[in-house]
Amino acid sequence: MSLTKEIALSLKNISKTFRFSDKTFHSLQERLFNIHKKNKKQHLKAVKTVNLDIYKGECIGIIGRNGSGKSTLTKIMSGAYVPDKEGNIIKNGTSLLLNLGVGFSHELTARENIYVNGSTLGLRVKQIDEIFNDIIKFAELEDFVDTKIKYYSSGMIQRLSFSIAIYAKADIIFLDEVFAVGDEKFRNKATKVLEENWIKGRTAIIVSHSTSLIEQYCNRTILMHKGEMVYFGETKIAIEKYRAIS
Amino acid sequence: MSNSISNKDLKKSNRLERIWLLAKIEFKLRYYENKLGLLWALIKPLVQMAIYYVAFAIILQVSVPNYAVYLFIGLIVWGVFTESTSGMIVVLKTKKYLYEYSNMSKLDIYISSQLSIIIGFMFNLVVFVIALYIDGMSLGINTLWFPLVFLNLFLFSIGTSMILSNLFLIAKDIKQIWGLVIMFLFWISPLLYHYERIAETLPILNYMNPLAGIIINFRQTLMYNLPPDLKLLALNFVHGIVVVLIGMIMVKKIGSRASEIL
Repeated sequence: MSLTKEIALSLKNISKTFRFSDKTFHSLQERLFNIHKKNKKQHLKAVKTVNLDIYKGECIGIIGRNGSGKSTLTKIMSGAYVPDKEGNIIKNGTSLLLNLGVGFSHELTARENIYVNGSTLGLRVKQIDEIFNDIIKFAELEDFVDTKIKYYSSGMIQRLSFSIAIYAKADIIFLDEVFAVGDEKFRNKATKVLEENWIKGRTAIIVSHSTSLIEQYCNRTILMHKGEMVYFGETKIAIEKYRAIS
Repeated sequence: MSNSISNKDLKKSNRLERIWLLAKIEFKLRYYENKLGLLWALIKPLVQMAIYYVAFAIILQVSVPNYAVYLFIGLIVWGVFTESTSGMIVVLKTKKYLYEYSNMSKLDIYISSQLSIIIGFMFNLVVFVIALYIDGMSLGINTLWFPLVFLNLFLFSIGTSMILSNLFLIAKDIKQIWGLVIMFLFWISPLLYHYERIAETLPILNYMNPLAGIIINFRQTLMYNLPPDLKLLALNFVHGIVVVLIGMIMVKKIGSRASEIL
């Protein structure tokens, strides 16, 4: 893998605090009836001061135990979450966070979802027309193109989102535990695509519990532990450290 | 993988296309899910008109000439406002799938939702024009004012929707409260009676309630072939721009955290 030193994603001083209270007032009515009560706030620091640079064409792994802040960090990187004020993110290019079956409206058909999704990724309708059949074919959904996806099985939805991600091609792609997709046959197909030419040449960030997968594809890996980035560097070392703490 | 496309410089160029795509899909979802389809868009104001006609023209004997047409144009303008505001209160929730995992602008979501309502409005306008001619009136030169009056309606509706949908993130019962506000607005807007009635008794209402001016000017230009009340037209632009600005600030301050809150 050639490491051109062009920055794809840069995080400076990023942290994320979730504020919540054991007694939240979700409505004005509750608020009015409890006006004398103080809304005791709790803070949870889900991600603590992360600084990192990811270069174009890199494949980065993120590992860590449950609740270590992996997904929160991924969501911050993708732009879904706003980090705490002092932080700064620089992102070059479009990004797509691929999670299991998200980014779809369950009220829409597969066809409509493909167009909406492709369009939010920056494609023109004409271009989506061109790749439409490939997406459907790869997802093996030829017979259900105009079915609302609320009638889909979870495997079908996952296949569809995986397929869109492959063909629509965002510049930076976040894969949050997506390798458990579909049945074995589809999984093999998906892995093969990744091996062939897909991850190469684009920036990918893979979140996974499968260390073997991370080891295979990622040259650098982030290890998260209790909201802190305890290591970012060579995958081998990251995995060793991960085994040591878990 | 020969067909796949990289999307480097396309991000901006497809914005309008995307807004239109979303508007079309939403419109289709709203009206084509049931057998009557687009007819529903027309049935609602027509039935409302029939009810108010019976109550006000026949029973209460309100004497407004061409009362049916008068009612209809008011009701479809009113319909745009209520549909966008009540419908879009929850838009950040229903359209979460659009912004949660990609960096799509929330403003585009509002615009496309508003557009999908405008499509229905356009169909109703056609019915209005037909009714106008049936009733012995016609469109005239003052129809040219339509874009400005329409822009007033568009700005005020979308701005209010932006404010409400962000308030919804803080207080969920804004939905119920807004239902009451809408009811209040309905009765202080010159929908059922002549606006001069309001001008005589509570003149300030026509200035404070942006919908009054919008409805009055729609009638002036499309129904009576008169120039719009310019004072109201200008004032409504101020109303519209103020709510849009407040809305945009709220989207930035509160809406940016929507995917965490919801």
